[in-house]
Amino acid sequence: MTIENKKGWISWFNPFRYGTDRWMYSLHRLTGIILGFYLIAHVWETSHILDGPITWNSLMVFLDYPFGPHFGPFILSGVLLVAVYHALNGIRLTIVENGLMLPKPYRPEFPYRPKSLKGLNNVLKILLGVLMIIISAIGIYFIFTGVIL
Amino acid sequence: MQEIALKGFGEVLKTVTFRVRRYDPEKRELAKYMEYKVPVQMGMTVLDGILYIKEHLDHSVSARYSCRMGICGSCGMIINGKEQLACQTQILELNKDLIKVDPMGNYPIVKDLVPDLSKLFRNHGSVKPYIIREEEEPKSEFIQTPEQREEYAMFTDCILCGMCLSACPTNATDELYLGPQSLAQGYRYITDNRDMGFNERLNVLDSKHGVWRCHFSGACSEVCPKGVDPALGVQLLRQLLTSNSFVKYKQKEATKGPERKSVSGVS
Amino acid sequence: MRESRIMFLQYMTGLLILVFGSMHFLAISALAPTSDKILYLYNSSSGAHTLIGGTLNYYSVKAVYTSLAWGSVFELLLTFLVFHVFNGFRVILSEQFPGGTSEKIITYSMLIVALIIFIYGSNTIVVMLNGGGI
Repeated sequence: MTIENKKGWISWFNPFRYGTDRWMYSLHRLTGIILGFYLIAHVWETSHILDGPITWNSLMVFLDYPFGPHFGPFILSGVLLVAVYHALNGIRLTIVENGLMLPKPYRPEFPYRPKSLKGLNNVLKILLGVLMIIISAIGIYFIFTGVIL
Repeated sequence: MQEIALKGFGEVLKTVTFRVRRYDPEKRELAKYMEYKVPVQMGMTVLDGILYIKEHLDHSVSARYSCRMGICGSCGMIINGKEQLACQTQILELNKDLIKVDPMGNYPIVKDLVPDLSKLFRNHGSVKPYIIREEEEPKSEFIQTPEQREEYAMFTDCILCGMCLSACPTNATDELYLGPQSLAQGYRYITDNRDMGFNERLNVLDSKHGVWRCHFSGACSEVCPKGVDPALGVQLLRQLLTSNSFVKYKQKEATKGPERKSVSGVS
Repeated sequence: MRESRIMFLQYMTGLLILVFGSMHFLAISALAPTSDKILYLYNSSSGAHTLIGGTLNYYSVKAVYTSLAWGSVFELLLTFLVFHVFNGFRVILSEQFPGGTSEKIITYSMLIVALIIFIYGSNTIVVMLNGGGI
Protein backbone atom coordinates (compact mmCIF):
# COMPACT_ATOMS: atom_id res chain seq x y z
CA MET A 1 0.00 0.00 0.00
CA THR A 2 1.43 3.35 -1.02
CA ILE A 3 0.29 6.71 0.27
CA GLU A 4 -0.38 9.77 -1.84
CA ASN A 5 2.02 12.51 -0.87
CA LYS A 6 0.22 15.44 -2.47
CA LYS A 7 1.21 18.83 -1.16
CA GLY A 8 -2.34 20.11 -1.53
CA TRP A 9 -3.71 23.63 -1.65
CA ILE A 10 -1.92 24.50 1.58
CA SER A 11 1.25 24.73 -0.54
CA TRP A 12 -0.10 27.96 -2.07
CA PHE A 13 0.78 29.50 1.25
CA ASN A 14 4.26 28.01 1.16
CA PRO A 15 6.00 30.00 -1.57
CA PHE A 16 9.24 30.13 0.41
CA ARG A 17 12.54 28.94 -1.05
CA TYR A 18 11.51 29.19 -4.69
CA GLY A 19 11.52 32.69 -6.09
CA THR A 20 9.58 35.89 -6.65
CA ASP A 21 7.45 34.32 -9.39
CA ARG A 22 6.22 31.71 -6.95
CA TRP A 23 5.24 34.47 -4.50
CA MET A 24 3.44 36.36 -7.22
CA TYR A 25 1.53 33.23 -8.23
CA SER A 26 0.23 32.76 -4.69
CA LEU A 27 -0.70 36.42 -4.35
CA HIS A 28 -2.37 36.50 -7.76
CA ARG A 29 -4.54 33.55 -6.83
CA LEU A 30 -5.47 34.90 -3.40
CA THR A 31 -6.24 38.40 -4.70
CA GLY A 32 -8.31 36.87 -7.50
CA ILE A 33 -10.47 34.97 -5.01
CA ILE A 34 -10.89 38.11 -2.85
CA LEU A 35 -11.88 40.20 -5.88
CA GLY A 36 -14.35 37.55 -7.02
CA PHE A 37 -16.19 37.76 -3.73
CA TYR A 38 -15.91 41.55 -3.81
CA LEU A 39 -17.66 41.57 -7.20
CA ILE A 40 -20.61 39.69 -5.73
CA ALA A 41 -20.74 42.08 -2.77
CA HIS A 42 -20.46 45.11 -5.05
CA VAL A 43 -23.28 43.95 -7.33
CA TRP A 44 -25.45 43.42 -4.25
CA GLU A 45 -24.46 46.82 -2.86
CA THR A 46 -25.18 48.81 -6.02
CA SER A 47 -28.54 47.08 -6.46
CA HIS A 48 -29.74 49.14 -3.47
CA ILE A 49 -30.05 52.15 -5.75
CA LEU A 50 -33.37 50.64 -6.83
CA ASP A 51 -34.70 51.17 -3.29
CA GLY A 52 -34.69 54.94 -3.47
CA PRO A 53 -32.72 57.84 -2.04
CA ILE A 54 -33.16 57.16 1.70
CA THR A 55 -31.91 53.55 1.57
CA TRP A 56 -29.07 54.42 -0.78
CA ASN A 57 -27.83 57.42 1.20
CA SER A 58 -27.96 55.59 4.51
CA LEU A 59 -26.11 52.64 2.92
CA MET A 60 -23.41 55.01 1.64
CA VAL A 61 -23.06 56.48 5.12
CA PHE A 62 -22.95 53.01 6.62
CA LEU A 63 -20.24 51.88 4.19
CA ASP A 64 -18.16 54.99 4.77
CA TYR A 65 -18.53 54.73 8.55
CA PRO A 66 -19.32 51.09 9.24
CA PHE A 67 -17.59 50.87 12.60
CA GLY A 68 -16.77 54.42 13.47
CA PRO A 69 -15.06 57.19 11.55
CA HIS A 70 -12.99 56.11 8.58
CA PHE A 71 -13.08 52.39 9.09
CA GLY A 72 -14.79 51.94 5.75
CA PRO A 73 -11.96 53.60 3.83
CA PHE A 74 -9.57 51.05 5.32
CA ILE A 75 -11.54 48.19 3.81
CA LEU A 76 -11.81 50.08 0.52
CA SER A 77 -8.03 50.73 0.53
CA GLY A 78 -7.48 47.02 1.03
CA VAL A 79 -9.69 46.22 -1.95
CA LEU A 80 -7.81 48.84 -3.97
CA LEU A 81 -4.42 47.34 -3.14
CA VAL A 82 -5.68 43.86 -4.03
CA ALA A 83 -7.21 45.09 -7.29
CA VAL A 84 -4.13 47.06 -8.33
CA TYR A 85 -1.88 44.06 -7.68
CA HIS A 86 -4.15 41.68 -9.56
CA ALA A 87 -4.45 44.09 -12.50
CA LEU A 88 -0.74 44.86 -12.84
CA ASN A 89 0.33 41.27 -12.35
CA GLY A 90 -2.38 40.27 -14.79
CA ILE A 91 -0.81 42.50 -17.44
CA ARG A 92 2.59 40.98 -16.70
CA LEU A 93 1.20 37.46 -16.95
CA THR A 94 -0.62 38.25 -20.21
CA ILE A 95 2.73 39.30 -21.63
CA VAL A 96 4.98 36.55 -20.32
CA GLU A 97 2.50 33.66 -20.40
CA ASN A 98 2.13 34.19 -24.13
CA GLY A 99 5.84 33.88 -24.58
CA LEU A 100 6.54 37.56 -25.15
CA MET A 101 9.48 39.29 -23.46
CA LEU A 102 11.00 35.91 -22.63
CA PRO A 103 14.46 34.81 -23.78
CA LYS A 104 14.96 32.55 -26.77
CA PRO A 105 15.96 28.97 -25.94
CA TYR A 106 19.55 29.09 -24.73
CA ARG A 107 22.32 26.75 -23.64
CA PRO A 108 22.05 26.02 -19.90
CA GLU A 109 25.32 26.69 -18.16
CA PHE A 110 26.40 26.03 -14.60
CA PRO A 111 25.17 27.20 -12.07
CA TYR A 112 21.90 26.85 -14.04
CA ARG A 113 20.04 30.03 -13.18
CA PRO A 114 16.78 30.01 -15.19
CA LYS A 115 16.75 32.96 -17.59
CA SER A 116 12.96 32.95 -18.06
CA LEU A 117 12.54 34.30 -14.52
CA LYS A 118 15.19 36.97 -15.05
CA GLY A 119 15.81 39.53 -17.75
CA LEU A 120 12.79 41.38 -19.10
CA ASN A 121 10.50 39.44 -16.79
CA ASN A 122 12.41 40.97 -13.89
CA VAL A 123 12.09 44.43 -15.43
CA LEU A 124 8.33 43.90 -15.61
CA LYS A 125 8.28 42.88 -11.94
CA ILE A 126 10.15 46.01 -10.87
CA LEU A 127 7.85 48.13 -13.03
CA LEU A 128 4.91 46.42 -11.35
CA GLY A 129 6.24 47.31 -7.91
CA VAL A 130 6.84 50.96 -8.82
CA LEU A 131 3.46 51.39 -10.51
CA MET A 132 1.74 49.64 -7.63
CA ILE A 133 3.21 52.08 -5.10
CA ILE A 134 2.28 55.12 -7.23
CA ILE A 135 -1.27 54.03 -8.12
CA SER A 136 -2.17 52.81 -4.65
CA ALA A 137 -0.75 55.98 -3.05
CA ILE A 138 -2.93 58.16 -5.28
CA GLY A 139 -5.94 55.90 -4.79
CA ILE A 140 -5.65 55.75 -1.00
CA TYR A 141 -5.24 59.53 -0.89
CA PHE A 142 -8.51 59.93 -2.78
CA ILE A 143 -10.31 57.34 -0.70
CA PHE A 144 -9.38 59.00 2.58
CA THR A 145 -9.85 62.63 1.57
CA GLY A 146 -12.76 62.01 -0.79
CA VAL A 147 -11.64 65.05 -2.80
CA ILE A 148 -11.85 64.72 -6.55
CA LEU A 149 -9.71 66.72 -8.90
CA MET B 1 49.85 22.74 -3.37
CA GLN B 2 48.51 19.28 -2.89
CA GLU B 3 48.58 19.63 0.89
CA ILE B 4 46.38 22.74 0.73
CA ALA B 5 43.94 21.10 -1.65
CA LEU B 6 43.60 18.09 0.58
CA LYS B 7 43.56 20.07 3.83
CA GLY B 8 40.82 18.80 6.06
CA PHE B 9 40.11 15.90 3.72
CA GLY B 10 39.08 12.80 5.58
CA GLU B 11 38.70 14.54 8.93
CA VAL B 12 35.35 14.82 10.62
CA LEU B 13 34.60 18.55 10.46
CA LYS B 14 31.28 18.57 12.25
CA THR B 15 28.32 16.44 13.12
CA VAL B 16 24.95 17.23 11.63
CA THR B 17 21.55 15.82 12.43
CA PHE B 18 19.59 14.22 9.60
CA ARG B 19 15.84 14.32 10.11
CA VAL B 20 14.56 11.74 7.66
CA ARG B 21 10.92 11.11 6.92
CA ARG B 22 10.19 7.42 7.31
CA TYR B 23 7.24 5.56 5.90
CA ASP B 24 6.91 1.83 5.58
CA PRO B 25 3.86 0.61 3.65
CA GLU B 26 4.00 -2.80 5.29
CA LYS B 27 3.57 -1.37 8.76
CA ARG B 28 0.21 0.23 9.28
CA GLU B 29 1.66 3.46 10.59
CA LEU B 30 1.69 7.07 9.51
CA ALA B 31 4.87 8.63 8.22
CA LYS B 32 7.16 9.85 10.98
CA TYR B 33 10.48 11.64 11.27
CA MET B 34 13.58 9.96 12.71
CA GLU B 35 16.82 11.69 13.59
CA TYR B 36 20.33 10.45 12.94
CA LYS B 37 23.67 11.99 13.87
CA VAL B 38 26.07 11.91 10.94
CA PRO B 39 29.76 12.93 11.07
CA VAL B 40 30.53 15.09 8.05
CA GLN B 41 33.75 15.08 6.09
CA MET B 42 34.71 17.52 3.42
CA GLY B 43 33.00 16.81 0.11
CA MET B 44 30.23 14.72 1.62
CA THR B 45 26.87 15.03 -0.12
CA VAL B 46 23.44 14.47 1.35
CA LEU B 47 23.32 11.15 -0.48
CA ASP B 48 26.60 10.17 1.21
CA GLY B 49 24.99 11.10 4.51
CA ILE B 50 22.00 8.88 3.81
CA LEU B 51 24.31 6.03 2.79
CA TYR B 52 26.27 6.55 6.04
CA ILE B 53 23.00 6.17 7.95
CA LYS B 54 22.22 3.04 5.97
CA GLU B 55 25.62 1.51 6.64
CA HIS B 56 26.15 2.42 10.27
CA LEU B 57 22.95 3.55 11.97
CA ASP B 58 19.78 2.16 10.43
CA HIS B 59 19.78 -0.36 7.62
CA SER B 60 16.11 0.08 6.86
CA VAL B 61 16.34 3.63 5.45
CA SER B 62 15.43 3.47 1.75
CA ALA B 63 16.49 5.86 -0.95
CA ARG B 64 16.79 5.56 -4.71
CA TYR B 65 20.11 6.46 -6.27
CA SER B 66 22.33 5.31 -9.04
CA CYS B 67 25.07 7.39 -10.61
CA ARG B 68 25.98 9.75 -7.71
CA MET B 69 26.96 12.48 -10.16
CA GLY B 70 23.74 14.19 -11.18
CA ILE B 71 23.15 12.38 -14.45
CA CYS B 72 20.63 9.64 -13.77
CA GLY B 73 18.14 11.80 -11.87
CA SER B 74 17.18 9.12 -9.36
CA CYS B 75 17.89 10.82 -6.07
CA GLY B 76 15.62 13.86 -6.15
CA MET B 77 14.30 14.67 -2.68
CA ILE B 78 13.21 17.66 -0.65
CA ILE B 79 16.24 18.83 1.32
CA ASN B 80 15.53 21.60 3.81
CA GLY B 81 12.27 22.42 2.07
CA LYS B 82 13.54 22.63 -1.51
CA GLU B 83 13.73 19.95 -4.17
CA GLN B 84 17.36 19.05 -4.87
CA LEU B 85 19.36 16.11 -6.12
CA ALA B 86 20.82 14.51 -3.00
CA CYS B 87 24.00 13.57 -4.85
CA GLN B 88 24.71 17.18 -5.86
CA THR B 89 23.98 18.86 -2.55
CA GLN B 90 27.03 19.35 -0.36
CA ILE B 91 26.24 19.10 3.34
CA LEU B 92 28.81 21.77 4.23
CA GLU B 93 27.38 24.15 1.63
CA LEU B 94 23.93 23.88 3.22
CA ASN B 95 25.58 25.34 6.34
CA LYS B 96 22.96 23.94 8.70
CA ASP B 97 23.21 21.66 11.71
CA LEU B 98 19.83 20.10 10.99
CA ILE B 99 19.10 18.66 7.56
CA LYS B 100 15.50 17.75 6.92
CA VAL B 101 15.10 15.15 4.20
CA ASP B 102 11.65 14.49 2.75
CA PRO B 103 10.62 12.41 -0.23
CA MET B 104 9.45 14.37 -3.27
CA GLY B 105 5.90 15.68 -2.97
CA ASN B 106 2.97 15.04 -5.33
CA TYR B 107 3.99 11.42 -5.90
CA PRO B 108 2.84 8.27 -4.13
CA ILE B 109 5.54 7.00 -1.80
CA VAL B 110 6.88 3.48 -2.20
CA LYS B 111 8.98 3.58 0.95
CA ASP B 112 10.80 6.25 2.98
CA LEU B 113 12.46 8.50 0.39
CA VAL B 114 11.45 6.52 -2.69
CA PRO B 115 8.64 8.09 -4.73
CA ASP B 116 6.64 6.24 -7.36
CA LEU B 117 7.47 8.14 -10.55
CA SER B 118 5.09 6.25 -12.84
CA LYS B 119 2.89 9.36 -13.16
CA LEU B 120 5.86 11.28 -14.56
CA PHE B 121 6.64 8.60 -17.14
CA ARG B 122 2.98 8.21 -18.08
CA ASN B 123 2.64 11.96 -18.68
CA HIS B 124 5.92 12.01 -20.56
CA GLY B 125 4.67 9.21 -22.80
CA SER B 126 1.34 10.92 -23.42
CA VAL B 127 2.94 13.83 -25.30
CA LYS B 128 4.59 11.35 -27.72
CA PRO B 129 8.24 12.13 -27.03
CA TYR B 130 9.54 10.88 -30.33
CA ILE B 131 9.73 12.19 -33.86
CA ILE B 132 6.54 11.56 -35.79
CA ARG B 133 6.78 11.21 -39.55
CA GLU B 134 4.29 10.17 -42.15
CA GLU B 135 6.60 7.85 -44.03
CA GLU B 136 7.19 4.56 -42.28
CA GLU B 137 10.67 3.98 -43.56
CA PRO B 138 12.55 7.13 -44.49
CA LYS B 139 14.65 6.83 -47.60
CA SER B 140 16.99 9.68 -46.82
CA GLU B 141 18.37 11.72 -43.94
CA PHE B 142 16.67 14.84 -42.62
CA ILE B 143 19.01 17.77 -42.64
CA GLN B 144 19.11 19.95 -39.55
CA THR B 145 21.31 23.00 -39.21
CA PRO B 146 22.97 23.86 -35.88
CA GLU B 147 20.69 26.91 -35.60
CA GLN B 148 17.61 24.72 -35.98
CA ARG B 149 18.98 22.44 -33.27
CA GLU B 150 19.50 25.40 -30.91
CA GLU B 151 15.73 26.03 -30.95
CA TYR B 152 15.06 23.00 -28.81
CA ALA B 153 18.49 21.84 -27.64
CA MET B 154 18.11 23.06 -24.04
CA PHE B 155 15.05 20.90 -23.41
CA THR B 156 16.88 17.75 -24.39
CA ASP B 157 18.94 18.08 -21.21
CA CYS B 158 16.01 16.81 -19.12
CA ILE B 159 17.03 13.83 -16.98
CA LEU B 160 13.49 12.94 -15.83
CA CYS B 161 14.26 13.40 -12.16
CA GLY B 162 10.67 14.60 -11.63
CA MET B 163 11.58 17.42 -9.24
CA CYS B 164 9.62 19.98 -11.30
CA LEU B 165 6.42 18.05 -10.69
CA SER B 166 7.16 18.06 -6.99
CA ALA B 167 7.76 21.83 -6.92
CA CYS B 168 4.83 22.72 -9.21
CA PRO B 169 1.95 24.30 -7.27
CA THR B 170 -0.62 23.11 -9.82
CA ASN B 171 0.53 19.53 -9.47
CA ALA B 172 0.14 19.89 -5.71
CA THR B 173 -3.63 19.62 -6.18
CA ASP B 174 -4.23 18.50 -9.76
CA GLU B 175 -2.98 14.97 -10.32
CA LEU B 176 -4.23 14.95 -13.92
CA TYR B 177 -2.04 17.92 -14.87
CA LEU B 178 0.63 16.95 -17.38
CA GLY B 179 3.35 18.80 -15.52
CA PRO B 180 6.21 21.04 -16.63
CA GLN B 181 8.42 18.16 -17.70
CA SER B 182 6.09 16.66 -20.29
CA LEU B 183 4.92 20.05 -21.56
CA ALA B 184 8.50 21.17 -22.13
CA GLN B 185 9.19 17.89 -23.89
CA GLY B 186 6.11 18.43 -26.04
CA TYR B 187 7.54 21.79 -27.05
CA ARG B 188 10.91 20.20 -27.72
CA TYR B 189 9.43 17.75 -30.26
CA ILE B 190 7.06 20.26 -31.87
CA THR B 191 9.86 22.72 -32.62
CA ASP B 192 12.12 20.00 -33.97
CA ASN B 193 12.10 20.61 -37.70
CA ARG B 194 12.15 16.88 -38.50
CA ASP B 195 8.89 16.34 -36.61
CA MET B 196 5.44 16.39 -38.22
CA GLY B 197 3.25 15.48 -35.24
CA PHE B 198 1.87 18.83 -34.08
CA ASN B 199 -1.78 17.91 -34.66
CA GLU B 200 -1.37 14.55 -32.96
CA ARG B 201 -0.03 16.20 -29.81
CA LEU B 202 -2.50 19.07 -29.86
CA ASN B 203 -5.31 17.11 -28.19
CA VAL B 204 -3.15 16.23 -25.20
CA LEU B 205 -1.40 19.59 -24.83
CA ASP B 206 -4.49 21.75 -25.33
CA SER B 207 -6.71 19.69 -23.02
CA LYS B 208 -8.34 20.72 -19.76
CA HIS B 209 -5.28 19.59 -17.81
CA GLY B 210 -2.73 20.52 -20.40
CA VAL B 211 -0.66 23.60 -20.97
CA TRP B 212 -3.27 26.10 -19.72
CA ARG B 213 -3.11 24.89 -16.14
CA CYS B 214 0.38 26.37 -15.86
CA HIS B 215 0.28 29.75 -14.13
CA PHE B 216 3.98 30.55 -14.46
CA SER B 217 5.02 30.28 -10.86
CA GLY B 218 8.51 29.40 -12.07
CA ALA B 219 9.09 26.85 -9.32
CA CYS B 220 9.95 24.14 -11.87
CA SER B 221 12.76 26.19 -13.40
CA GLU B 222 13.93 27.20 -9.97
CA VAL B 223 14.54 23.58 -8.88
CA CYS B 224 15.67 22.06 -12.19
CA PRO B 225 19.12 20.52 -11.59
CA LYS B 226 20.08 20.76 -15.27
CA GLY B 227 18.88 24.31 -16.00
CA VAL B 228 16.36 23.04 -18.54
CA ASP B 229 14.01 25.92 -17.66
CA PRO B 230 10.74 24.01 -18.25
CA ALA B 231 8.73 27.17 -17.48
CA LEU B 232 10.21 28.81 -20.58
CA GLY B 233 9.24 25.82 -22.68
CA VAL B 234 5.68 25.88 -21.37
CA GLN B 235 5.26 29.60 -22.07
CA LEU B 236 6.70 29.25 -25.58
CA LEU B 237 4.39 26.30 -26.21
CA ARG B 238 1.48 28.43 -25.06
CA GLN B 239 2.47 31.17 -27.48
CA LEU B 240 2.49 28.55 -30.21
CA LEU B 241 -0.98 27.30 -29.28
CA THR B 242 -2.45 30.82 -29.03
CA SER B 243 -1.16 31.79 -32.45
CA ASN B 244 -2.30 28.41 -33.78
CA SER B 245 -5.91 29.24 -33.00
CA PHE B 246 -5.70 32.22 -35.40
CA VAL B 247 -3.12 31.18 -37.96
CA LYS B 248 -2.65 27.44 -38.36
CA TYR B 249 0.78 26.35 -37.23
CA LYS B 250 2.93 25.34 -40.17
CA GLN B 251 5.16 22.38 -39.55
CA LYS B 252 8.72 22.96 -40.48
CA GLU B 253 9.78 20.73 -43.33
CA ALA B 254 13.22 19.33 -42.88
CA THR B 255 15.10 19.26 -46.14
CA LYS B 256 15.94 15.75 -47.18
CA GLY B 257 19.40 14.59 -47.99
CA PRO B 258 20.36 12.36 -50.90
CA GLU B 259 18.37 9.16 -51.11
CA ARG B 260 20.00 6.07 -49.72
CA LYS B 261 19.28 2.39 -49.82
CA SER B 262 19.42 1.96 -46.05
CA VAL B 263 19.50 4.75 -43.51
CA SER B 264 19.26 2.62 -40.42
CA GLY B 265 22.05 0.19 -41.22
CA VAL B 266 25.64 0.83 -42.12
CA SER B 267 25.91 1.76 -45.77
CA MET C 1 -14.80 25.01 -26.48
CA ARG C 2 -11.12 24.33 -26.65
CA GLU C 3 -9.20 25.31 -23.56
CA SER C 4 -6.96 27.65 -25.59
CA ARG C 5 -9.99 29.67 -26.72
CA ILE C 6 -11.35 29.95 -23.19
CA MET C 7 -8.02 31.09 -21.82
CA PHE C 8 -7.60 33.55 -24.69
CA LEU C 9 -10.95 35.05 -23.66
CA GLN C 10 -9.70 35.07 -20.06
CA TYR C 11 -6.69 37.21 -21.03
CA MET C 12 -8.73 39.49 -23.28
CA THR C 13 -11.51 40.07 -20.73
CA GLY C 14 -8.78 40.80 -18.17
CA LEU C 15 -7.42 43.60 -20.34
CA LEU C 16 -10.91 44.91 -21.14
CA ILE C 17 -11.80 44.95 -17.44
CA LEU C 18 -8.77 47.15 -16.93
CA VAL C 19 -10.06 49.66 -19.50
CA PHE C 20 -13.72 49.62 -18.46
CA GLY C 21 -12.90 49.31 -14.75
CA SER C 22 -10.83 52.49 -14.79
CA MET C 23 -13.63 54.16 -16.76
CA HIS C 24 -16.18 53.25 -14.10
CA PHE C 25 -14.15 55.13 -11.48
CA LEU C 26 -14.53 58.25 -13.62
CA ALA C 27 -18.31 58.02 -13.16
CA ILE C 28 -17.96 58.99 -9.52
CA SER C 29 -14.93 61.27 -9.89
CA ALA C 30 -13.82 63.40 -12.81
CA LEU C 31 -16.87 62.87 -15.04
CA ALA C 32 -19.48 62.87 -12.27
CA PRO C 33 -22.55 64.99 -13.13
CA THR C 34 -22.37 67.10 -9.97
CA SER C 35 -20.81 70.33 -8.87
CA ASP C 36 -19.53 68.93 -5.54
CA LYS C 37 -16.02 67.67 -6.20
CA ILE C 38 -16.05 65.30 -3.25
CA LEU C 39 -17.18 61.70 -2.71
CA TYR C 40 -19.22 62.31 0.43
CA LEU C 41 -20.69 65.55 1.71
CA TYR C 42 -22.11 65.02 5.19
CA ASN C 43 -24.41 66.99 7.36
CA SER C 44 -23.28 66.06 10.87
CA SER C 45 -25.00 68.90 12.77
CA SER C 46 -27.54 66.68 14.49
CA GLY C 47 -24.95 64.16 15.66
CA ALA C 48 -25.86 61.47 13.13
CA HIS C 49 -24.34 61.64 9.69
CA THR C 50 -26.59 62.19 6.73
CA LEU C 51 -25.44 62.35 3.15
CA ILE C 52 -26.52 65.66 1.62
CA GLY C 53 -24.22 65.84 -1.39
CA GLY C 54 -21.14 64.52 -3.11
CA THR C 55 -20.73 62.26 -6.08
CA LEU C 56 -22.01 59.23 -4.19
CA ASN C 57 -25.27 60.96 -3.33
CA TYR C 58 -28.38 59.25 -4.72
CA TYR C 59 -29.22 61.89 -7.32
CA SER C 60 -25.68 62.07 -8.64
CA VAL C 61 -25.44 58.28 -8.97
CA LYS C 62 -28.88 58.15 -10.55
CA ALA C 63 -27.84 60.73 -13.14
CA VAL C 64 -24.91 58.48 -14.02
CA TYR C 65 -27.07 55.36 -14.29
CA THR C 66 -29.76 56.95 -16.46
CA SER C 67 -27.33 57.99 -19.19
CA LEU C 68 -27.14 55.38 -21.95
CA ALA C 69 -23.37 55.71 -22.33
CA TRP C 70 -22.60 54.90 -18.69
CA GLY C 71 -25.25 52.21 -18.67
CA SER C 72 -23.59 50.39 -21.56
CA VAL C 73 -20.16 50.80 -19.94
CA PHE C 74 -21.46 49.18 -16.75
CA GLU C 75 -23.22 46.41 -18.65
CA LEU C 76 -20.09 45.57 -20.64
CA LEU C 77 -17.92 45.73 -17.53
CA LEU C 78 -20.31 43.39 -15.74
CA THR C 79 -20.23 40.93 -18.64
CA PHE C 80 -16.45 40.84 -18.77
CA LEU C 81 -16.12 40.65 -14.99
CA VAL C 82 -18.59 37.80 -14.62
CA PHE C 83 -16.80 35.78 -17.29
CA HIS C 84 -13.33 36.51 -15.89
CA VAL C 85 -14.24 35.84 -12.27
CA PHE C 86 -16.22 32.66 -12.76
CA ASN C 87 -13.85 31.22 -15.31
CA GLY C 88 -11.10 31.91 -12.79
CA PHE C 89 -13.10 30.15 -10.08
CA ARG C 90 -13.70 27.24 -12.44
CA VAL C 91 -9.95 26.93 -13.09
CA ILE C 92 -9.09 27.07 -9.40
CA LEU C 93 -11.79 24.58 -8.43
CA SER C 94 -11.09 22.14 -11.25
CA GLU C 95 -7.43 22.16 -10.24
CA GLN C 96 -8.59 21.43 -6.72
CA PHE C 97 -11.00 18.62 -7.63
CA PRO C 98 -9.77 17.12 -10.91
CA GLY C 99 -11.76 14.38 -12.59
CA GLY C 100 -14.53 14.06 -15.16
CA THR C 101 -17.62 14.16 -12.94
CA SER C 102 -16.41 16.77 -10.48
CA GLU C 103 -15.30 19.07 -13.29
CA LYS C 104 -18.70 18.81 -14.94
CA ILE C 105 -20.37 19.73 -11.64
CA ILE C 106 -17.95 22.65 -11.19
CA THR C 107 -18.43 23.95 -14.73
CA TYR C 108 -22.22 23.89 -14.60
CA SER C 109 -22.52 25.27 -11.07
CA MET C 110 -20.16 28.13 -11.97
CA LEU C 111 -22.25 28.78 -15.09
CA ILE C 112 -25.44 28.97 -13.00
CA VAL C 113 -23.92 31.26 -10.35
CA ALA C 114 -22.44 33.47 -13.09
CA LEU C 115 -25.83 33.77 -14.79
CA ILE C 116 -27.52 34.65 -11.49
CA ILE C 117 -24.98 37.41 -10.77
CA PHE C 118 -25.18 38.65 -14.35
CA ILE C 119 -28.99 38.83 -14.36
CA TYR C 120 -29.05 40.41 -10.90
CA GLY C 121 -26.54 43.10 -11.91
CA SER C 122 -28.11 43.68 -15.33
CA ASN C 123 -31.48 44.14 -13.64
CA THR C 124 -30.08 47.09 -11.67
CA ILE C 125 -28.56 48.67 -14.76
CA VAL C 126 -31.57 48.17 -17.04
CA VAL C 127 -34.16 49.34 -14.48
CA MET C 128 -32.07 52.43 -13.69
CA LEU C 129 -31.68 53.12 -17.40
CA ASN C 130 -35.48 53.27 -17.65
CA GLY C 131 -35.81 55.87 -14.95
CA GLY C 132 -35.06 54.16 -11.67
CA GLY C 133 -36.90 51.96 -9.22
CA ILE C 134 -38.59 54.52 -7.03
